[in-house]
Amino acid sequence: MTPEDEQRRAWFRREILPLEPRLLAYARKFCRDGESDPEDLVHDAFARVIACKTWREIANPAAFASRTVRNIAFDTLRRRKVLTITAVADFEQVGGMDETPGPEATLVARDELRQLREAITELPTQCRRVFTLRKVYSLSPGEIAVRMGLSVSTVEKHLIKGLRYCSERLGRPGAIQSVRIDEGRSWVGKRDRDAKQ
Amino acid sequence: MGREAGSRREAVRAAAAHWVVRLSDPACAPGERAAFEAWRAESFENEAAFEREHAAWERTDRLRVFKPALSKPDADLFAPEEPRRTFDRRSPWTMMAAAAAIIGVIGTGVLSATASTAYATDIGERRVVVLADNSRIELNTDSKVVVRYRNGVREVKLVKGEALFEAAPDARPFVVKARDARIETGSGELSVRLGAENAAVTVRRGAAQIEPDGQGPAKEVRIAAGTAMVYGPHGGHAQPLSDAEIDRALAWRQGAIALNGQSLSQAVAEFNRYNRQKVRIADPSIADLRLAGYFQSTEPQAFVAAVTSAFPVRASAGEDGVIRLARKVG
Repeated sequence: MTPEDEQRRAWFRREILPLEPRLLAYARKFCRDGESDPEDLVHDAFARVIACKTWREIANPAAFASRTVRNIAFDTLRRRKVLTITAVADFEQVGGMDETPGPEATLVARDELRQLREAITELPTQCRRVFTLRKVYSLSPGEIAVRMGLSVSTVEKHLIKGLRYCSERLGRPGAIQSVRIDEGRSWVGKRDRDAKQ
Repeated sequence: MGREAGSRREAVRAAAAHWVVRLSDPACAPGERAAFEAWRAESFENEAAFEREHAAWERTDRLRVFKPALSKPDADLFAPEEPRRTFDRRSPWTMMAAAAAIIGVIGTGVLSATASTAYATDIGERRVVVLADNSRIELNTDSKVVVRYRNGVREVKLVKGEALFEAAPDARPFVVKARDARIETGSGELSVRLGAENAAVTVRRGAAQIEPDGQGPAKEVRIAAGTAMVYGPHGGHAQPLSDAEIDRALAWRQGAIALNGQSLSQAVAEFNRYNRQKVRIADPSIADLRLAGYFQSTEPQAFVAAVTSAFPVRASAGEDGVIRLARKVG
């Protein structure tokens, strides 16, 4: 590991990773025919962007990353044996990625804590307990294993599962919208609606 | 791409997550670090996936703000609440009121478009109301709002307590009335809390215009997201808040009280808002002890236990059920 590598990774962490929700929304536009998966597009784009040794010359990382998504989508399209009309039509219609982070991006930052908390609550019971002891109380996997009567490797499996769940949820665009289910649309809420009609 | 790629992506991310978990273990051996370096050097795909999982791992560190002070680790800190918790906590009185209200709707048939509707919570209760336009009101303990949508304005009056208002985007302004003030927003998110004499408005998202006296725009103030404004009979002042401060102020949405240097007397007053079993400070000399931590708002016992173990304070429950706090002697 050289300092140069570490700087390149730090750039990737700082400039590229936070773009994931927007890149995913952008990638979705190339996947409307259902043949390819937008998450794969972004995953491949990340691998291509982090490989860029000339990262210092990139003035606009968001534009660079979204262009990479587009190029990969185009490569995939060309390699396909059967081209669907929708894919080609979609491709021609898609412009660049929206450059300015919308209010949603700010919203996501503010609500991150709420999202995280919700994500933890949604984990299976054992997994949630292990993850809570590790991340909130900073117990080591060994300590958790003793406390819960599990093997260290089982504790690790739960931690990996919990981490995977959180990382998928944090990377998703509009995570806020998806968790804002109408938890309390009680009869009173309905009554108000009825009253309006 | 397609299915196969999807499972490859998942396999790479799972491997990356495995390394994140291993490397963060204090028991991780140096030899493993070398094995990790070799794995990471295999492909840029591995390298990028590791950065992604590692970033998520670090972001979950924020969860530590929920750690209650001075208590043993609780693996069930984030256990899902039982569904319909707010209903379970209702007193028979509110259940009867609810039943009466249903009968009221049936009885009156079609309500006019300008009808107002009241929503209230009991002590210790929380409640979410979704309005016709998808605006959302979250009521804290012992609170009441009256909703009135009319003539191109969405008006909600906060009669008592505290509530969070999330105005859905709409052509009509969303107006909250609290005491004499009129608070207007387009599609913002703000919380309002009524105090004994004053009221506090915190704008979480969007912006709001506040007329402290409701006497027209003469004294109107515009406040942006991340700002709190307190106003009372002697005027008001606004101050910026950090995300962490806003999270703490809204801890009640998770059924919690977040303290960050408040005095014991402030903390006790806060707990008493949520509970029928009251806590009292019987000894003024302990009123200014400072506390920090995250507590369940409906569990004053746990709070009292934390206080008595951290400070030279003893607690005694009288026959009236009130818990009295005093300085420990000797």
